Amino acid sequence: MLSIALSELIQIFRNRLVLLTSFVIPIVPCAFFIYRHEIFAELGSLGYIAAVVMFTVGAFGLYTTTVTTLASRRQNLFLKRLRSTPASDAGILVGLMLPVTVLAIVQMVAILAVLAAVTGAPDSVPLLAVAVLSTLVMMLALGLATAGLTNSPEHAQVTTLPVSLGAIGVSTWVGITGTEELTQLKRLLPGGSATELVLNAWNGGVPAADSLSLLLPTLAWVVFAVALASRMFRWEPRR
Amino acid sequence: MTSTTVIDVDRLNLSYGGFHAVKDLSFHVQKGELYALLGTNGAGKTSTLETAEGHRAADSGTVRVFGRSPRDRRAVRSRMGIMLQESGFSPDLTVKESVQLIGTLSRRTDRVERVLDIVDLKSKSDTKVSQLSGGEKRRLDFATAVYGQPELIFLDEPTTGLDIQSRDALWQAVDKLREDGSTIVLTTHYLEEAQQHADRIGLMHKGTLHQEGTVSELTRTLPATIRFSLAAPAPEPLPLLLRSDDRGKFLIETFDLPHDLYTLLGWAHTHGAELRELEAGPTRLDDVFRAISAD
Repeated sequence: MLSIALSELIQIFRNRLVLLTSFVIPIVPCAFFIYRHEIFAELGSLGYIAAVVMFTVGAFGLYTTTVTTLASRRQNLFLKRLRSTPASDAGILVGLMLPVTVLAIVQMVAILAVLAAVTGAPDSVPLLAVAVLSTLVMMLALGLATAGLTNSPEHAQVTTLPVSLGAIGVSTWVGITGTEELTQLKRLLPGGSATELVLNAWNGGVPAADSLSLLLPTLAWVVFAVALASRMFRWEPRR
Repeated sequence: MTSTTVIDVDRLNLSYGGFHAVKDLSFHVQKGELYALLGTNGAGKTSTLETAEGHRAADSGTVRVFGRSPRDRRAVRSRMGIMLQESGFSPDLTVKESVQLIGTLSRRTDRVERVLDIVDLKSKSDTKVSQLSGGEKRRLDFATAVYGQPELIFLDEPTTGLDIQSRDALWQAVDKLREDGSTIVLTTHYLEEAQQHADRIGLMHKGTLHQEGTVSELTRTLPATIRFSLAAPAPEPLPLLLRSDDRGKFLIETFDLPHDLYTLLGWAHTHGAELRELEAGPTRLDDVFRAISAD
């Protein structure tokens, strides 16, 4: 598994285009949100900025890269090659996704640290960490499921749009308007409850125990996405 | 099944998209053997091979490799090397990194330099896979398959796209592996390779095993041929059954080549007939193939 992860890391750094689109481009809007934080804090809150940068990295960095990588490794039969060895399916997937996940975590932590340095520390760092981790897991699971519906890396440019734009849209909607109205709907949409969790963690004012129940919809999306992936994921190109 | 059976396929059936690709197929491969699975296009040999490799599940019937299910990757894969029909390497990794990765995952021990030396790719160690030619990719594939000298090696059209030197080098490497006890399963479109190297051949046609046996067992079922033309019309009828084509060339089909050739030469000598373009030879695997394709 670690040898697969290492080879994947080498491939990411050797392919400048992947490095640029997956890791540099998501940083641009995040920098903008932090630079104009006063406007966005007035529009929503500082927690809203934290949520939207988290989803920008999660959707455009982690999720899109996961789908594109898996589709590309399948298309050139690299997945089949890996499956010709004793490595288990789970080991192969974890190995392939580990480097992009670690890079996404580093990015999120760095961006949120800059936000905290500029605007002040969040109310609860542990709760924020839980929110970030659960979002990462959800985006990874959705990436696996989407990879099952994606035939090629080019096709990924289309298939990733609904989830990535949807998640950012939901986090913007929830971040700006809150969850006082349409509470159930907003919490059930993918990314809705995770956004609320970030808002609570950053802005404070809600007991931690109440916030933790917000994990349930996110975990439900994970279960749904993994179930979908186990039905849809293919290891070889369709002939 | 005996203790020396490496692959045991029993009444295997495979279908996809409503097409029954493999029907009640049974065959065994013994330890140390080179078994060639040959067939016409669409005969089902790649599907059969993929099932034995563990890439595909059987619809019915059983496939055992080393006495276990080939789907049990942990148990069987470290004992087998697989050269796929299409390479499947990452274009952004170098030759050395590719062998290192697959070699490490195989859980066998070997040196990357050693296997690259076998396929004459040592000078390309630091070249990215995307910059290799088709033949070089095939050789890289072979290098990963033989990493750590596995007990069982699948070679799926190993020499396609290779020049003659690389082809000879590859067969030399296979011979060496066999000396060390490896079992080989081969598919190829180059029938002369199978004829030259295989201990036994399974000939697939339309999803079933049409014929199976050694090369001589297979070719024995068809007559050998003698071809010639005559400089002048025959002075005396030949005491053999022969056919002639419209360009004046004669053909004798025989199951007793030495005897009939002797008769022909004696007849020519006695009557002073000049035999031109004389060819005589045993039946080749190609002829066996043509015969089943014509069915």
